[in-house]
Amino acid sequence: MGFFTTLLVILPLLIIPAAFYRFLLISDPKRNKPIRHGRRNPAEPTHLLVVLGSGGHTAEMLAMLERAVSAKDASLKLDWKDYTHRTWVVGSGDSISAQRAKDFEDMVIPLSTPEDLMVGKVKRATYNGIGTYDVVTVPRAREIHQSLTTTPMSSFTCMRACYDLLTRYTTETRDGHASGPGQKDFPDVILCNGPATATILVATSMLLRFFDVKGCSTRGKLRTIYVESWARVKKPSLSGKLLSRVVDRFLVQWPQLERSTGGRAEFMGVLV
Amino acid sequence: MAHPKTCFVTIGATASFTSLIQAALSAPFLSALQNHGYTDLLLQYGEDGKGFFDGCMQQAQATVSSSGLKVSGFALDKAGLGKYMRQAKGLGAKGAQEGVVISHAGSGTILDALRTAVPLIVVPNAELLDNHQVELAEALAAQEYVVHASLADLPRALQDAEQLRLRQKEWPPVNSGVHRQAKGLKGVLDEEMGFLD
Repeated sequence: MGFFTTLLVILPLLIIPAAFYRFLLISDPKRNKPIRHGRRNPAEPTHLLVVLGSGGHTAEMLAMLERAVSAKDASLKLDWKDYTHRTWVVGSGDSISAQRAKDFEDMVIPLSTPEDLMVGKVKRATYNGIGTYDVVTVPRAREIHQSLTTTPMSSFTCMRACYDLLTRYTTETRDGHASGPGQKDFPDVILCNGPATATILVATSMLLRFFDVKGCSTRGKLRTIYVESWARVKKPSLSGKLLSRVVDRFLVQWPQLERSTGGRAEFMGVLV
Repeated sequence: MAHPKTCFVTIGATASFTSLIQAALSAPFLSALQNHGYTDLLLQYGEDGKGFFDGCMQQAQATVSSSGLKVSGFALDKAGLGKYMRQAKGLGAKGAQEGVVISHAGSGTILDALRTAVPLIVVPNAELLDNHQVELAEALAAQEYVVHASLADLPRALQDAEQLRLRQKEWPPVNSGVHRQAKGLKGVLDEEMGFLD
């Protein structure tokens, strides 16, 4: 065997297991989370990314968020100020979802709980501003009646847009630590439900973590939460099947779906 | 006529579920509406649905005028269906009574109606290949949140909706034994964010 033949045999033997091992590492939900010192610590900005689909997906996502931010029970009440920056992802041409994201942002801040900053008679350093948000448009991965043959191309275009939006804000901070005061960084958490765009976005986030782009993996960024549509009662959707073993959290809203999906599916009651 | 009672029929903004429009303007259904004291029939026929709606209206003209119902339709409303849901709930006009919503099985519309707490009849579109909408309608009907109907038995469904009205359940469901982990979306987000307090 010549040198190149040997190389051709040996290299894949090395690379494939290594890549697979890397894949397991970055898709393990037990991987590092960022080290934080309290909620709304002004020195530790946070970034939440929400994917809106269209029609039903958007309606469900907003219903879920509206329910969480207006919950009466304090332990269930999502405080929007916990996220100093929010990115809303909408499909191109979906002006309704974009508008609904803006409406949600306008509605949500007065719902935030005023905080007692003098607890324990030491004024706590707490970020109390309303933060910032972006509404970012990406080309759709697949139109509703698009043929399967052109889907790979449009998915690739969508993936590039996802890459750009995920790397829109980055910082260089010490391993395992959140970004500095006033900075914007990778999304900490990606919250999505069923649309095809979400699948592409999660795949792109895995690619970024695979190559640890700007330390996103070592710094514990880009964790993923997938919520299966409430309309899925017995069987998961295609997006759900694809993502049930790679997202960090996979929430389903019907008990029988937890069993039929398998993987990381957890039933947490109805969320919408 | 003192107490307006609205039946709101929606096929969604984009879906072409014309057979539901047709069924809602059929003679048996119109007379069932009349029997249950409805005064208004409001239809959302979706994009491109106007031609079909006008056609149906022309056919049903005689029945409509003899029933004394006020029938109107619209294509879509960017502000959402909340306004129409509230009209069906009886919150639109003074002295109005609660009516009913009849909807395709889209989850967004079902959710809207459940949150408005207006009785809802769900009619899944049998022509769609993916039948998960039927599963949702069945599951919700089994838990007595909605009435699940097919196009053929809309008049019967209207009767069932009167029963549903008497024991309308609230949405979101109160956490009970079924919802064993009630930490909700916030709990999961906190865990993933690494908020420890």
